[in-house]
Amino acid sequence: MMVWLALALAYAGLTALALGMKRHHQSLLGAKPSDARLRAFRVTGWALIALMLLCCLRLWPLGLALSLAFGLATLAGLPLIFLLPYRPRLAARLALALPLAAGVGVWVV
Amino acid sequence: MKNSLRQSMAWLHTWSGLLLGWLLLAMFVTGTSAYFREEISLWMEPELHASHATPETPELAWQALNRLAPDARAWDIRLPDARAPVVELGWQPDTPEAQNEGRRRGERAIMDAATGEILTPRATRGGDFLYRFHFELYGVPRLWARWLVCVATMFMLVAIISGVITHKKIFKDFFTFRPGKGQRSWLDAHNATAVLALPFHFMITYSGLLLFMVMLMPWGIDAAYNGDRRAFFDDAFPRATETTAQSQEAAPMTDIAPLLAQTRRAFDQPVTRIEVNRPNRAGATVSISTDREPEITGRRRGSAPTLVFQANSGALLETRPGTSEALPAAVRFYNLFANLHLARFADPAVRWLFFLSGLGGCAMVATGLLLWVAKRTQQLKQRQPGASLRLVNALNMASMTGLIGAMAFYFAANRLLPVELAQRESWEIRVFFISWLLSLAHALWRPNRRGWIEQLAGITVLWLSVPLLDMATTGSHLFSATAWQHGALAGFDLACLLLGALWGYALWRVARHGGGKKGTARQPRRSPGTATGAAS
Repeated sequence: MMVWLALALAYAGLTALALGMKRHHQSLLGAKPSDARLRAFRVTGWALIALMLLCCLRLWPLGLALSLAFGLATLAGLPLIFLLPYRPRLAARLALALPLAAGVGVWVV
Repeated sequence: MKNSLRQSMAWLHTWSGLLLGWLLLAMFVTGTSAYFREEISLWMEPELHASHATPETPELAWQALNRLAPDARAWDIRLPDARAPVVELGWQPDTPEAQNEGRRRGERAIMDAATGEILTPRATRGGDFLYRFHFELYGVPRLWARWLVCVATMFMLVAIISGVITHKKIFKDFFTFRPGKGQRSWLDAHNATAVLALPFHFMITYSGLLLFMVMLMPWGIDAAYNGDRRAFFDDAFPRATETTAQSQEAAPMTDIAPLLAQTRRAFDQPVTRIEVNRPNRAGATVSISTDREPEITGRRRGSAPTLVFQANSGALLETRPGTSEALPAAVRFYNLFANLHLARFADPAVRWLFFLSGLGGCAMVATGLLLWVAKRTQQLKQRQPGASLRLVNALNMASMTGLIGAMAFYFAANRLLPVELAQRESWEIRVFFISWLLSLAHALWRPNRRGWIEQLAGITVLWLSVPLLDMATTGSHLFSATAWQHGALAGFDLACLLLGALWGYALWRVARHGGGKKGTARQPRRSPGTATGAAS
């Protein structure tokens, strides 16, 4: 279950990083962002990535965890890239829903 | 060239990518399939499908070897694991001829884990053919093929580095994909698959070269060992030395079951391997091993947790905890990359992760090749494409749909060729290459949109029909309990259906795209991600 949480966190983190960029912020949320807001999203994004890394470290020994963290980020990033132009709203909502669902899953199982 | 660095790099990237792209794509596609090499091999040997592990399996194997080779010099039993449901029996005949053979390969047999019956699977190379193809090709002298593959891999490394330099806005465009813009969309898709999976691409390319380091850069080793390569291998990859109890006096061995139970208790893990030295003689020893904890910088062989027993009395001789020895940093570095490349440590979830990353690599090479054509087609502005553009388009087609189709033919041949056919495994491979060649001929004949549509339709039908064929010819198809007992079998058929659906979707996108742009032949490939955006 932890793998899914790590994957969901990677997706949320990358989405937050995308929201920290002017171009994507507008297409995802439809509003012109302030600089402070953009920065807040970037910080959130990196924080989520750090959390994802923590999950990986709990799952695997150090060397493997670092290697697979890259893999998970790749796997989370590809659907995000292709959701952005077609279903921007869905992409943003998934960033909230997926970590929540995975978190509940980890807690329950 | 007197251009800026970026322009020179773009030139280098375009042309090294095009020239070696076809070979690289074939390496990526077959290499990606190699992550499931054992599963593919199992699927291709339906005679083994009924076998499944039971608590009695080790004893059955023990009895089988007592029956088959009671006087062998050594036995080797590999018990079923998550990836293989059968028992592999190995033994060294105790004859002078067997000893004199340089390699002492010994005899092998496959045993049904449930009944103890010796199985004879149909002759096939299985997943090994695809795996070998990705670094040795086929029919080319091995050394030549390996050099060719290494040159292509080196160019891949060059393409990765020059690609990063060429990429104008690598961070600004990190999440950018703009569909429906022709060449622009192909470039975005190429960038996305390349940049996002860059750690994987770099790792797989660099480690690929590292695995061939002795072939590519032998000079340091030759200098240090005065040209004695064998001495280097002995030092770098030590093998367990064999104990030499030389008694020929016959003596019965103790019951194996308590020893197995003791080992299982000692390491709290199921037993995976039993090795016996000089069975059925006085002084026989039996080593019982479990799987070891995967360690990514560790060696593959030699350090599994093992208990060694005196086989006549059952007394415990030695406990090897299987802790990894302290390795020098360079060796750990090499092991890290080798283990990553081969995904040795991988549990099923991680294996899928690597497989999907591999598909990302295929998509990157494929979109790069298609981008080359899309860019030049756009420059044509309704004029007829020239011979070179048609040739590149045809080679693209043969290297993508052609190879994918050939793989489906390979799987189909496995089910359709008669079991008793002489040189059966070679015929499977011949079917693979003949169908690939035919697709090339078709592509050269029709290097245009129509050709793409026909080939895409072909591979859609082929991949969807593989599970149907399985249903018609074996008892371990999707609607059987056996297939679900070994997830790999059901997984194979489901993957075929899924990939078939993906090709069908690609076909739909190309066909719907309309005939407006003649010869463009843009069409989505491989990853669903690229597929959605590819066609404009």
